[in-house]
Amino acid sequence: MLMTPLLEIRNLSFAYEGSDALVFDGLSVTVQEGEFILVKGPSGSGKSTLLRLICRLNQPQGGSILFQGSDVTSIVPAKLRSAISYVAQIPQMIDATVEENLLLPFSFAINAGKSRPSREELKEMLIRFYLADVSPSQSALKLSTGQKQRLAIMRALLQEPLLLLLDEPTSALDQESASMVFSIMERLNTEDRKTLITVTHIDYKPETVRPLIYTLAHRSLHLSS
Amino acid sequence: MNQIVTISTGQLLLALVFILIAQASSFIYHLGLNRDIAIGTLRTFSQLFLMGYVLTFILKTSSPFLVLSVFMVMVVSAMFIIKGRVKEKQIPYIIPTFLTMLVSYLATAIFVSGLVVGITPWWEPRYFIPAGGMVIGNSMSALAISLERLFRDMRQQKELIEMKLSLGANYREASLDIFRNAVSAGMIPSINAMMGVGLVFIPGMMSGQILAGTDPLIAIRYQIVVMLMLVGSTAVSSVVVMLIVRRRCFGSGEEVLLSPR
Repeated sequence: MLMTPLLEIRNLSFAYEGSDALVFDGLSVTVQEGEFILVKGPSGSGKSTLLRLICRLNQPQGGSILFQGSDVTSIVPAKLRSAISYVAQIPQMIDATVEENLLLPFSFAINAGKSRPSREELKEMLIRFYLADVSPSQSALKLSTGQKQRLAIMRALLQEPLLLLLDEPTSALDQESASMVFSIMERLNTEDRKTLITVTHIDYKPETVRPLIYTLAHRSLHLSS
Repeated sequence: MNQIVTISTGQLLLALVFILIAQASSFIYHLGLNRDIAIGTLRTFSQLFLMGYVLTFILKTSSPFLVLSVFMVMVVSAMFIIKGRVKEKQIPYIIPTFLTMLVSYLATAIFVSGLVVGITPWWEPRYFIPAGGMVIGNSMSALAISLERLFRDMRQQKELIEMKLSLGANYREASLDIFRNAVSAGMIPSINAMMGVGLVFIPGMMSGQILAGTDPLIAIRYQIVVMLMLVGSTAVSSVVVMLIVRRRCFGSGEEVLLSPR
């Protein structure tokens, strides 16, 4: 018996508001649980838009997106985004401490039943995310972009999503920070069995995982390897 | 002593000295306000004279339909003024704002003239029209401030809202701070007016009553009712309009519809 895919995109079409030019036309792809998907393509090819469509931050003109077999439009948006967590290219923090930022998802009704990590658990996680020198009580706004990016990924994971969408997670980072983020991404997939879709325009070759690499071209996705 | 001193046409024109001072200030310091001051002066004269003639006619009427029609014209005019100030093209806010204004102002004006002042009938134009006018004028400014703030903050903080949405927030949770700021920005002028009334300024209605020979102790009672009425109507209309318009800033997937300007 075939397993229901975690995510299935069927015949997707999309154009930006006020434009007739289609960004996607007949785009289809299937994502199975535990896969590490890498979407490549030049700037402006619609990579970020694809991730935003999956978590409904944009609405497609046609086609459908199924999550665990259900059309995403039939799922309560907050519930969908609690299960499919999207981390934007530029990490956003509220004007509060690192701890308050990390616990932000638990202030929302949909995550009320989920277990809140203790301060000790948060400290352990910070070490795992190469943030050992960051204190939970310090201001999150004063962190570097690289630190904020790792914190944003960590925060997204705290609500235990089934699918993690990472939008150009290293585009604003230096080489060292970028390597840390890549290492975190690979560990999330190999150790935690997380399903990831990452979009990037840089030439990134994972060391410890064998990703499915897609290229966005001609308004659709093409499997490269 | 209770005789009202009338202002002759000559004396009225003499008051234009104040406008000349304002025009001179704008001219000397290149404030670019000469045209607006001139139009504002002309509109003040024409609109108030027109209002004076209409009120003279309306105050003698015994038709509730006519009184309510005047009230309707006032609300429609207020809506156009808000539309001119807010200048939002992407989100359809005009119809819900207009309907909320109409219902909440009507309810407030009926409550004040019919129950608090206890006039029979409740639409007695001498009480209903001034009460309605004060409610509309005051809340109109509050709504314009709140709407401007809501749209501006939603645009400026779009990434922050989307971050919260991505962490499982519903649209209400993701925009809670913006909603609160928008409502309170509109309400602060009415609340400040309650703080300063009688100390910093004597309100227009009370001044008018005293000038017309009313006992100040009676005039203050009317003024207290008016102040409370203004805060209440501003709160109700701002909260209701912000609740409706905020929802319209989000699509069916609770995604932010406003795009940067």
